[in-house]
Amino acid sequence: MSNRTSAQSAPTWSPSELMAVELARQLRNDDVAVMGTASALPQVACALARETHAPDLWFVAGGTCGVNPHLAPAVPSCCDESLLRADTAIPLSDVVLLEGRGDVFTVFFSGGLQIDAYGNCNLVAVGNWARPSLRGPGTVGLPFLSRVGRVLIYTMSHNPRTFVERVDFLGGPGFLDGPASWTTAGLLGGGPAAVVTPLCTMDFDEKTLRMRLRSVHPGVEVDQVLDATGFQLAVPSTVPTTADPTAEQLSIVRKLDSDGILKGR
Amino acid sequence: MSDKTLSLSDAIERYVPDGVGTVAVGGMHLHNNPMGLVRELIRQHRPVDRLLTSPCGAMNADLLIAAGLVREIATSYVGFEHLGLAPAFRRLVESGSVRVLECDEAYITHGLTAGAGGLPFVALPVGLEISDVAKVNPESYRVVDDPFTGQSVLAGAPIRPDVALLHAAEADASGNAVLAGAHFVDRLMALAARTVVLQVERVVPTETIGAHPVGTTLPGFIVQAVVELPGGCHPTASHGNYRYDEDHLRTYLALAATDQGAKTYIEDYVTQTSEDVYLSTMQLSREHADR
Repeated sequence: MSNRTSAQSAPTWSPSELMAVELARQLRNDDVAVMGTASALPQVACALARETHAPDLWFVAGGTCGVNPHLAPAVPSCCDESLLRADTAIPLSDVVLLEGRGDVFTVFFSGGLQIDAYGNCNLVAVGNWARPSLRGPGTVGLPFLSRVGRVLIYTMSHNPRTFVERVDFLGGPGFLDGPASWTTAGLLGGGPAAVVTPLCTMDFDEKTLRMRLRSVHPGVEVDQVLDATGFQLAVPSTVPTTADPTAEQLSIVRKLDSDGILKGR
Repeated sequence: MSDKTLSLSDAIERYVPDGVGTVAVGGMHLHNNPMGLVRELIRQHRPVDRLLTSPCGAMNADLLIAAGLVREIATSYVGFEHLGLAPAFRRLVESGSVRVLECDEAYITHGLTAGAGGLPFVALPVGLEISDVAKVNPESYRVVDDPFTGQSVLAGAPIRPDVALLHAAEADASGNAVLAGAHFVDRLMALAARTVVLQVERVVPTETIGAHPVGTTLPGFIVQAVVELPGGCHPTASHGNYRYDEDHLRTYLALAATDQGAKTYIEDYVTQTSEDVYLSTMQLSREHADR
């Protein structure tokens, strides 16, 4: 994907750096966030939020379960020992207990091999579960999405194979089959709140609960997003462009990501 | 105290019987995988009826699957995180050769707690029944009536591994062990398993363990064997000792993408070599959290 802006010169940030900034913008000062496998991007987003508009936010790097890990560097593996350089750390079994309790974590970061129009996520299998055409790794903690405040979905793959009308396997619940099933289920969680990709940021229509384009990233056209999405994406009459990262945001991201793992992609 | 230190081959021969039922492998993602014990299972060709991973298995599961020794796997994730999908797991599940008992993180954690505590089953948080996981695994998950509210709730069967193969940073000869860095669910696996075989970076005096006993140690009375195997987590990391070997993991991932490649890897690094020779040729990066 090109990260050139349409009219001007190339931006000075990578798609993942912009995504980290955009995820940080979804976070609030009173949030307690949790994330899992290969989660350098949301970790940087949380640490950035703490250094800017959300100093009281807490985040738990699931795996090691470092609490507010100090990063610098951000690391690709969520179980890396360096994530225990943190304000504190708790056992994984404590995190699983608190995920079940449901009133502690307010944000859960999610992703998937497939993400559907209602924000349901699938990391398990493409095709028939018993004889899949693609066997994914497995669902880990995604069933807990039913019990957390806001689900923030992110993926580096914005294409029609990832963004499908309906997941083949429901691992991480979003708005299920839409308003009727969502209301009937009466889940504790608030459902998916935003989806951030290298192309755009999306949210969900309040009535239909289907995914909706919220902003296109600098240099990306709306048609490009529609072509890359395998379902009918709701598009408002005007689509703003995602704000550029500020110089301060970029410099904090790069300080946290001192090994530059977000830089090249 | 009885001396439980054994050679690698004796430990597997004695405590992982032919026709073993459920074997749990400790560690999570690319960290603290008991790879020396896993390689020895392959050398001694011990088929595993059911392999259980922590919420996230990696090389510990994929290599056993590549060796054709796993009939069924209970897991919530097998993969190599940012390095890619698990090649043998993917290939053999797609072809139907390995059966998956699909689990989620909550069930593995609470199911081990149930196994450890003698709970007949464990009721799981409301909402977990929404996912398809429980629907495809009725052997582990059932819907029951909550006797207090009358509501339908999801329940999980207790998990009681016959053998847990675990890594610890150090242990004394009687099996009191220090888990360094993150513990993942290794402690729960040890508490739930009928037999615990530990591989450790070093065997130390009991006083060394007793210096920091709370929350860091396993008691020797639940441990059957201690194998001193410095470097034995390679190519995964050993918290407090060395990082994962990304180059070697990439070599494995490339080879294990095919049946023939997996066979080549296993011959070159497991069956046609001894553990001592393997470990002496591997470079361990001592750089870790102190950087």
